[in-house]
Amino acid sequence: MNSGIDLQGTFIESLTDMGISPGLAKTMWIPLPMTLVIIGATVGVLVVVWLERKISAAAQQRIGPEFAGPLGVLQPVADGLKLVFKEDIVPTKSDPILFTLGPILVVIPVFLSYLIIPFGQNLVITDLNVGIFIWISLSSIAPIGLLMSGYASNNKYSLLGGLRAAAQAISYEIPLALAVLAVVMMSNSLSTIDIVEQQSGYGILSWNIWRQPVGLLIFWIAALAECERLPFDLPEAEEELVAGYQTEYTGMKFGLFYIGSYVNLVLSSLVFAILYLGGWDFPIPLDRLASWLGTSEDTAWLQVVTASLGIIMTILKTYFLIFIAILMRWTVPRVRIDQLLDLGWKFLLPVALVNLLLTAALKLTFPMAFGG
Amino acid sequence: MDFSSNIATQLNAGAILPEGIVVVTILLVLICDLIVGKSSARWLPYVAIAGLLASVAALWLKWDATESLAFLQGFNGDDLSIAFRGIVALSATVTILMSVRYVEQSGTSLAEFIAILLAATLGGMFLSGANDLVMIFVALETLSISSYLLTGYTKRDPRSNEAALKYLLIGAASSAIFLYGVSLLYGLSGGQTNLDAIATALANGDGGESLGLAIALVFAIAGISFKISAVPFHQWTPDVYEGSPTPVVAFLSVGSKAAGFALAIRLLVTAFGAVSEEWHFIFTALAILSMILGNVVALAQTSMKRMLAYSSIGQAGFVMIGFIAGTDAGYSSMIFYLLIYLFMNLGAFTCVILFSLQTGTDQISDYSGLYQKDPLLTLALSICLLSLGGIPPFAGFFGKIYLFWSGWQAGLYGLVLLGLVTSVVSIYYYIRVVKMMVVKEPQEMSETVENYPEVRWSLPGMRPLQVGIVVSLVATTLAGILSNPLFTFANNSVINSPVLQSAKLTQPIAKAGISETSDRPIVQ
Amino acid sequence: MNLAEGVQIVSFGILAALMIAAALGVVLFEKIVYSAFLLGGVFISISGLYILLNADFVAAAQILIYVGAVNVLILFAIMLVNKEEVFKPISGRWIRKAATALVCVGLFALLSTMVLATPWNLAAPITAPESTLILIGKHFFSDYLLPFELASVLLLMAMIGAIIIARRDFIPDIEAASSDQPLQTVWRLPERPRELTPTQGSSNQRK
Repeated sequence: MNSGIDLQGTFIESLTDMGISPGLAKTMWIPLPMTLVIIGATVGVLVVVWLERKISAAAQQRIGPEFAGPLGVLQPVADGLKLVFKEDIVPTKSDPILFTLGPILVVIPVFLSYLIIPFGQNLVITDLNVGIFIWISLSSIAPIGLLMSGYASNNKYSLLGGLRAAAQAISYEIPLALAVLAVVMMSNSLSTIDIVEQQSGYGILSWNIWRQPVGLLIFWIAALAECERLPFDLPEAEEELVAGYQTEYTGMKFGLFYIGSYVNLVLSSLVFAILYLGGWDFPIPLDRLASWLGTSEDTAWLQVVTASLGIIMTILKTYFLIFIAILMRWTVPRVRIDQLLDLGWKFLLPVALVNLLLTAALKLTFPMAFGG
Repeated sequence: MDFSSNIATQLNAGAILPEGIVVVTILLVLICDLIVGKSSARWLPYVAIAGLLASVAALWLKWDATESLAFLQGFNGDDLSIAFRGIVALSATVTILMSVRYVEQSGTSLAEFIAILLAATLGGMFLSGANDLVMIFVALETLSISSYLLTGYTKRDPRSNEAALKYLLIGAASSAIFLYGVSLLYGLSGGQTNLDAIATALANGDGGESLGLAIALVFAIAGISFKISAVPFHQWTPDVYEGSPTPVVAFLSVGSKAAGFALAIRLLVTAFGAVSEEWHFIFTALAILSMILGNVVALAQTSMKRMLAYSSIGQAGFVMIGFIAGTDAGYSSMIFYLLIYLFMNLGAFTCVILFSLQTGTDQISDYSGLYQKDPLLTLALSICLLSLGGIPPFAGFFGKIYLFWSGWQAGLYGLVLLGLVTSVVSIYYYIRVVKMMVVKEPQEMSETVENYPEVRWSLPGMRPLQVGIVVSLVATTLAGILSNPLFTFANNSVINSPVLQSAKLTQPIAKAGISETSDRPIVQ
Repeated sequence: MNLAEGVQIVSFGILAALMIAAALGVVLFEKIVYSAFLLGGVFISISGLYILLNADFVAAAQILIYVGAVNVLILFAIMLVNKEEVFKPISGRWIRKAATALVCVGLFALLSTMVLATPWNLAAPITAPESTLILIGKHFFSDYLLPFELASVLLLMAMIGAIIIARRDFIPDIEAASSDQPLQTVWRLPERPRELTPTQGSSNQRK
């Protein structure tokens, strides 16, 4: 199997060659991908915000931002700067500690989840055994932060919004996890790398999108609900709750919620791409392409091309999904809270269970096609 | 698959066939209720009873099975466990008989009640045979959580809510304490969860007489004593018994307690064999306190259910004598007494249920003059109470005699004398009720009894109640006179169980190793 | 001691301190919401300890179940029943507090003596397994098969019980049923009668 570029190995090797102990070299390596991913995620958010504005405008036959930079690409930066310089208001009779802690608790787990997102064979911060499970368990921390900020704001809209957000998050966590479980069952591993590897081989034909059509839909609905995107944005439904748990927030604390929700959207799309769309895989298997062209897999230029193509493919798939999410925002009406809970518990949960059982049965009957 | 087929050959899954039948019955009850709806309440109880009886029959088939260990030593289906599993299953059967009308009248749905009761039975049955710490804990929790749910089943009754909450809080605390003690056992044995492995590891290692083992013992006993409601872990009993639905109380006082005793025997004899001196001492204290407090406080009760609650604490004290004796006769007297206690106590509770269904009260003073209105009820209740008190021709007398005899044989003179004295006390409060019902003149009849409606056995759910009363009446009367088969059964179940036999073999050795200067021999 | 061991010891110290501080906070805070939030902190610290013990799956499951489900439920319960209650200060309350503290400190002393005095039967140092997942799975389907399956019955029953306790029963209205048309039973919700606005001289009491 083509192992591709191993940046970490090369980095550590070059440092040890310079006379530094391997342990220290490893320690020096650790912060590099972390910083890179944090920066990448933040830049990703700026892009998503710009996309959201532009696509929304297009959907409503407007122009959207256009003065800040070419095509208005600097508009999100302007937004961010505005948030940074805004006055930070803590309402009276609120609970200042919890009020500050809430948004932080919402943002941190989302960023932590980037630990397991692979952009290539070796382009991942850590390849954990429990990979995708970490994402599920980390995303279950966020409701605590939402409840915290909702409670600390000392505002009934905030409290209701926080409660709704938490209820929604824990309700949709279950079908989400069951959908993921079906994929995991096929790849015999929780590791994100293994999940993608299992889908490689025949290009687009071997992606999970063909083997898990139901799981894919469940995952997408549940992921939208987890990200509080329309049609599931009840926690901040303007008509009912002003802005939900964000009502009392301004400045950078609001900014944290804002970043958190967009990073979460990008993250969910990334995970979707990994689970169902073959991660970094090119629609046509690259090693076959290489053998047709008559080049060895170990050629340096081919490896660089493969790695960059992998990153580009992952990002392309992700932004395609984000595009769908934004389109859905302008085409689908918001559900009511009872409809939301009914959908989660009475429809998605049973369907996800059936999907899981069906996958298990298919795996036993056709071990070739469904990962024996 | 190499792994799975390899495991499958070692499982010996047939050992849990009786429990399997109970699981199938649970699912059947739930699914039938779901599909058929309300009208299924007429026949669902009989499905459950049939399932339980089938499970008892399956237990009978497993009697003297050559290979008792199952699930890689996780479960021990020896004859001792069969006896206790049988007691639990039978108590659930009788409980269902008496609960049909009661649940109907309380306006709650019957199917879920039966399902939860069956789950509690399942937990109790697994607990009786569990041979692994994890298994013990999961089975214990199944029993406990189902019991909490049953306690609070009539949720529109605030007393039931109170009882459920008290039971839940105290029960959760005691589970936590038990778990802590058991986890110490895991650590002391170097990471073993199997009881036999723990015993071996403790015997080989030097953790045998450490402070850790002592604390593990105390914590484990605290958890067990909560289940068998031994004083001083009895505080929940009166309130829970008074508040919760009466059939549930009946199950708690027999089935749950029997499972607790089974757990006590298996855990203490196997895993704590090295400190048998200590736990004999602790149980002696518990037995003394239970007998005195249970029987003395019962004197002062005015509510029938509370009185039966305290009496059940006292009865647990009597049963502990057999446990402390630690001989074959001691253990088999426990089983014998529990079997008899099953019928007489459940009979008493069935009568209490019938009376409260007819009148809506369970005050003792309201029973006065019942003889004129309902002779069958009076007869059944009198015989059950007299048997509980240990009056000769009835079964309870023989059970008690056997317990005391085995205790006397084992040299527990003080304990037996105390038992005799407290059973005299208990006779007083049992006879008080009987006297109230039988002797009173017509003009002294209580107001409730004067308005006592005619018993209409044809009402839905009354027939099982009648069957329950008659069965327990017959069993209580005849089991005393024809006690020989039961006697042999109890004896065989102990003799055929390698756990107890090997414990007896190793005990003198262990004792000699631990305390050579001990002057208080336990086994004579 | 190499770098990895040093990092482990430091993280253990931090996690332990965090956990003890949070646990004390859970017990000592007057405000129950703080206690609930700190409980989440305790759970997260425990999951950190699991990671130090190479039990990565258990650590993730700890967060998912205890923080994501149990703690959120506790918070829900607290926030939905957010009733201000003014407690009258009991005279001599400090005696109770002191007694409780004494018992707790005594218990703590006993248990810590026990931990230190007991010769723990420690097996040889265990090497970290290749994959904890496979190990757990093998245990689930061999020696812990029975508890694993029984746990499913337990959970099923707990779920049914929770539904029974939480649901609102429709019971037939007895007065309506005993009137002229016994066939037509009126179903109503006995619990939570509609809250009547307290108007003056209102005799329209439903119960």
